[in-house]
Amino acid sequence: MTMQTSTAGAAATSAGTGAGAALRIAGLVKDYGPVHAVRGIDLEVRRGEVFGFLGPNGAGKTTTIRCVLDLLRPTAGSIEVLGLDPHADGVAVRSRVAYVPGELRLPERLTGAELVASIGRLRGGHDPRRRDELAARLDLDLGRRMRDLSSGNRRKVALLLAFLARADLLVLDEPTNGLDPLMQHEFLRLVREARDEGTTVFLSSHVLSEVQRAADRVAVLRAGRIVALGTVDDLRGRARQRVEVWFADDPPASELAGVSGLDDMTIDDHRLTAVLSGPIQPLLAVLARHRVASLLVEEPDLEETFLDLYAEAS
Amino acid sequence: MSAALFELVLIPLRSLRRASAAWGIVLALFIGATVAFWPAFQGSSALSQALDQLPNGLVEALGMQDIGTPAGFLRGNLYDFLIPLLLVGAAVAMASGQTAGEEDAGRLEIYLAQPVSRVRLWVARVAALAVALAVVVIVILVAQLGFDAVVGLQLPASHLAATLLLCALLAFLHAGLAFAIAGWFPRPSWTLGAAVAAGVAGYLVVALFPLNATLAPWRHVSPWDWAFGGDPLVHAAAAWRYMALLLPAVALAAVGGLGFARRDVRAG
Repeated sequence: MTMQTSTAGAAATSAGTGAGAALRIAGLVKDYGPVHAVRGIDLEVRRGEVFGFLGPNGAGKTTTIRCVLDLLRPTAGSIEVLGLDPHADGVAVRSRVAYVPGELRLPERLTGAELVASIGRLRGGHDPRRRDELAARLDLDLGRRMRDLSSGNRRKVALLLAFLARADLLVLDEPTNGLDPLMQHEFLRLVREARDEGTTVFLSSHVLSEVQRAADRVAVLRAGRIVALGTVDDLRGRARQRVEVWFADDPPASELAGVSGLDDMTIDDHRLTAVLSGPIQPLLAVLARHRVASLLVEEPDLEETFLDLYAEAS
Repeated sequence: MSAALFELVLIPLRSLRRASAAWGIVLALFIGATVAFWPAFQGSSALSQALDQLPNGLVEALGMQDIGTPAGFLRGNLYDFLIPLLLVGAAVAMASGQTAGEEDAGRLEIYLAQPVSRVRLWVARVAALAVALAVVVIVILVAQLGFDAVVGLQLPASHLAATLLLCALLAFLHAGLAFAIAGWFPRPSWTLGAAVAAGVAGYLVVALFPLNATLAPWRHVSPWDWAFGGDPLVHAAAAWRYMALLLPAVALAAVGGLGFARRDVRAG
């Protein structure tokens, strides 16, 4: 798998196998009158993977998700969820999908337990032991009414409902909004457990670190288009890393100038600082021919990579 | 009824129970306060003579004919205008709140993300409104019969029940209009405003058109005429009057359901 970036008018696609995809979106367009919220998305999410759907607010993530759940009707394009059409087979699709909305609007007067019971009846029942286990893990009091809960605790109720459903596909839209770091960690554990049990997770977020830790593959969305698609490692590979090298002798400036991806080079006495994008191997090959006193390569900043991809696409 | 459909009816009913209880109690108290004046009206010749001085059309427009009789008293003070209009308001508010209001607030999404169809959710909301409206009307009927007994206002219970059923169906018809609008245009203010305006317009047609010879025949276009044109407090209402209200109400609710099934759901 290689990282792909798209330019306007040419949406990126994965090299997914096609057969057995948990989610397949082809040419999805969604307009609200003159506003083009989604401008042509193609992607496939394989069964059993955690797929990150990254992008800033307003990029079209929620609109895409709401089309997947048949809450919105696409202007153009097609969607297939677990081999089914979410419009024609909506009930069958949603019986196998659990969803955490980005904007949580829960019934104010119900307690957590009442809401769980109500949704359970709509879904044909739930496992009370699993409910209690999830409530304990999320440190959630199910006896309190929704109107008395903080936004973080409401988020926990929504997460509990999603993980309780034992769905084949989890669609999570900004699932850690309002959660404290401890709970974010617990959430990531739940995601990994779900994946290990064969559940596909479609994780929409604008938090890079969250997607980086949870996802196998990532699509980056901007202004209604996918601008990059690949594995998290691919994304890291494209990342810009700050490099600092201390040479025992004078730095080989001319050789370093020929290293692909090495930019913003500054040589100060025996010290080289530069920014490296792409693979590190060509730089290491040059360094191996010289006496290096020390080498510092900083952890790639995905945030910068993210912004670079945006800049590239625009 | 499946457990899921039953739950879909219970969900709106849980939030309607306070509203229906409040409407029932307020209307019951209003009826009690009105009926308390019956002894002063009963057989009052002075009032009848005063009304005789007014043109017949105006007296009928005000629903004040035979005000000294039990049926005339209840018609003029309660069932010609106030109780039907308040029931229309209650039904429209509840229907609008449970559809356009909930959708506008983004609270339908959590249910529509479950394995339920939009049509089922819509049918369940219509059924919940019917149940809530029935509760209000039963409270009113019980209160009316109780207060009547206390002040000695004698009217056949069957006539009262029939009148209240017609009031409920008139309210349900306007709720159906609210459902129809909400199904296509989920804006609570539009839904509420249009359906209540239709209710008031229907009353004005039936009250004022008879005062003008040209307009008088057109009073029959008003659902208020279908409901109360036969004076149900005095005469048993014909079956068509019930159906004339019920069938369009169901059809309008279905039109709303069709729209709801076809369009985008608002996120709030």
